[in-house]
Amino acid sequence: MSWLDRDEQQRRDRFLYGGARQRFTLCRAALRSVLCRELDCRNEHLAFEASEHNKPSATVRGRPAPISFNVSHSGRHGLIALAPGGRVGVDVEERVPHPNLDELIAAVMGPNERSELAAAPRPRRLHLFFNLWTMKEALSKAHGMGLSMDVARFEIPQAMREGSASGCFRFADTPDVAWRLHNISTEEFAAAVAHSPDRQ
Amino acid sequence: MSSTEERIRALVDANLQIEGRSAGQPMRLDLNIIDAGVSSADVVAFWRLVCEEFGIDIPADEFAGLLTPGDLIAYLDAQSG
Repeated sequence: MSWLDRDEQQRRDRFLYGGARQRFTLCRAALRSVLCRELDCRNEHLAFEASEHNKPSATVRGRPAPISFNVSHSGRHGLIALAPGGRVGVDVEERVPHPNLDELIAAVMGPNERSELAAAPRPRRLHLFFNLWTMKEALSKAHGMGLSMDVARFEIPQAMREGSASGCFRFADTPDVAWRLHNISTEEFAAAVAHSPDRQ
Repeated sequence: MSSTEERIRALVDANLQIEGRSAGQPMRLDLNIIDAGVSSADVVAFWRLVCEEFGIDIPADEFAGLLTPGDLIAYLDAQSG
């Protein structure tokens, strides 16, 4: 796939199996296509850098591009978010049954979230879990910490846990930064977008 | 007592769905589990399980840098000293 640069090709080659490798390749090619269109640049001039916690950013001819983006894929679904500035994070997850759902809930949810999920009937529990997880993952990716953030330490706003499609969120350690959070889930997949106009 | 590698292999077999690999098959120590198709939620849950199994508290930001079995085993062996 000549659309990918050397670093991306090396990462693609680290995937052991065809399915994950193909999904990665398609997602990166789609990201490049969208960014080239938005930034009005040629693909060979577009490159990516990674922050300390591996959050990617784009450069054009070696200069930081005036756009924020984030990418997620799960199964046959992919999601790309763009923002003219600030920080953005996304997550998408296919709603597939999970053999260790209760252990997963215990690992990644806060106390109120765990109580609400425990009270939900099992099919509904899986549905709610994926909604909450994608919102948490979108926030941690937007923040820039990704997997380095212990997501059990914060909870999704109550109104959104109860079904609101969007809301405002603030991390306890940076209460001056407001994040807009959107739950864009469907019956087939869970997905969320988080964005803040602040760079820091 | 089982080696660190055997204990990690048992945790991987029981909890992670690595694309193209069945439980009990040889485990590549240099394979990044994200690149092997493991979801981020499962990675977080796996982090908790490793902490529980080995009785230590690995900070989330350190675990995020230990996404191959080989790196994780080396870290755990260093911790046990």
